[in-house]
Amino acid sequence: MDLPRHFSRGILTAAAGFALLVLGAPSWVNAQGRAAWERIDAATELLDGATPRAGSIRLDLPAVTQDGSSVPVTVEVDHPMNPDDHVEALYLFAAGNPSPEVAEIHFTPLAGKARITTRIRLDGSQTVVALARTNRGEWLAGQRDVRVTVSGCLSQGNSSDNSDFMQARVRPPSRMAPGEPGEVRTLINHPMETGLRKNPDGSLIPERIIEEFRAELDGEKLLAARFHRAVSANPYLLFFVAPGRHGELALRWEEGEGAGESATATASIPD
Amino acid sequence: MTHTLVVVWAGFAIGLIFGAVGQRIEFCLTGGLREWWGEGRPRRAAAFVLAVAVAIAGTQLVAGLGLVDLGESLYLQAGFSWLLIPLGGVLFGCGMMLARGCGSRALVLLGDGNLRSLVVLLCLGISAYVALTGLLAPLRLSVAEATTVTPELTAPSIPGLLESAGLGPGIARALPAILLAAGLAAFALVRLGLFQTPRDAGGAVIIGTLVPAGWVATGYFGADDFDPVRVESLTFVAPVGDAIQYLMFSTGTQLAFGVTVVAGVLAGSIAASVLSRSFELRGFESPGHMLRAIGGGVLMGVGGALAIGCSIGQGLSGLSTLALPSFMAATGIFVGAFAALRLAKQ
Repeated sequence: MDLPRHFSRGILTAAAGFALLVLGAPSWVNAQGRAAWERIDAATELLDGATPRAGSIRLDLPAVTQDGSSVPVTVEVDHPMNPDDHVEALYLFAAGNPSPEVAEIHFTPLAGKARITTRIRLDGSQTVVALARTNRGEWLAGQRDVRVTVSGCLSQGNSSDNSDFMQARVRPPSRMAPGEPGEVRTLINHPMETGLRKNPDGSLIPERIIEEFRAELDGEKLLAARFHRAVSANPYLLFFVAPGRHGELALRWEEGEGAGESATATASIPD
Repeated sequence: MTHTLVVVWAGFAIGLIFGAVGQRIEFCLTGGLREWWGEGRPRRAAAFVLAVAVAIAGTQLVAGLGLVDLGESLYLQAGFSWLLIPLGGVLFGCGMMLARGCGSRALVLLGDGNLRSLVVLLCLGISAYVALTGLLAPLRLSVAEATTVTPELTAPSIPGLLESAGLGPGIARALPAILLAAGLAAFALVRLGLFQTPRDAGGAVIIGTLVPAGWVATGYFGADDFDPVRVESLTFVAPVGDAIQYLMFSTGTQLAFGVTVVAGVLAGSIAASVLSRSFELRGFESPGHMLRAIGGGVLMGVGGALAIGCSIGQGLSGLSTLALPSFMAATGIFVGAFAALRLAKQ
């Protein structure tokens, strides 16, 4: 090589530096910052020694939000949903909340895709973590940072009006592309009292939440969800029904001791 | 189209009309007050008063017909700060006189080629968020908490007051709406002589109509069982900040009504300015001139955040709901503007 000596040496140094950086980076990350799920006791308990494959769950949250009481979150597990190999359960955690458990969703292949949208409560800027387990026992993980600022507006909403308490709403799939899973939106009017809020007189408002949600299609289990108090008031859940399925969608929300509300809708998803 | 898409496009259309009409008739409360109080020429102030009258009549009509639940809007929240709302109004009034135009006027002027307005808008938008969610937010929240009052009314508004005095809800809404709208319109057209310039009067009617149009866009087309849009209409403090934020974070935020209104006003003003061949680039004449723009922008941003609205947000949209805090904020804006004008004369 005819390159001037100092030039080639410069290139060599740069290349060596670059290689060090590339090779060194993963170990440096491991040494300095662990994956977010490792810092959540409930998550490590659930995993029981298993190591989840990172990066296969996509979390869609606003980068910055002014309303920590209702942050829209979409979680999609990048995994097939056929009877042999499908996502069985999805767990959501908010690492910075007083109690990190947010919700867990149990899917069957009838759901068509392991994707849900809901709204959650976030106590300040933090990392939202999702773990998913397949029927083959494989664990997947994903995480996303959210910045939550104080509320810009003083709007408290007129939520004192509880005339529509426990009113369930469901919007069955419409306008679908053939072969695509159909989208179902559900919501029930419920304050989801955390048990952390105080009355004006200083006494604690007792915890009262919708604990369970179940969806069945013609008696066949489609999806079941367990909500914790970090799910926002008027719990909202968007989920999917596999293509080629037709029938009566039966939904059931439950408040713990058997009190609950049901709703039905017709679902007809083209092949 | 999804309902959120309808709302943001409606916002853009409303902004487009506001920008174009505002550019043509030079719709401006600041300039109007300065000319009226300082030079005895009330033409532009009268246009603003007529727009308020139309906004009240139109908004109370759509609310009375049950199309929009104004109770969900920011202006009619049960509790409000008796201190921050008028104080914010005074700061905003001072700021708009200092910067020679409020937020909406600055947007229209920017479309006209006035680059000074860009400085005003950047200062306004950023300082609004400093007070809303940034460095000053904890202070704002603690003062707001200590000074919040919640009147024992069905709503903190003139109809709410009348209802507590024993009137039925229908008449409690219709009576003040008709009296105020008719009184303000007569004052603008006859007493201030706006009927002599029908072009200004027409422009003011169009701008006033955009307020109920905004309510219908967000409160009727934006209503959804699962994902309702926030009920709002024209305002130019937080949305200017939101627009700056949207430019920076658009991949991680949702496009909202206020942001498309801001974009629409700018586009409408540019179009009207270019078509009428009045577009001309203008800048600052001196550092002092620039300092005034910066100070005015910051005062408007912080003041507008404290008062939950600007001369348009509280002055047009807020007053159109007949909310009591909006009357306090509007009074504050007048007092601040008057004080700034007096100080400037000395």
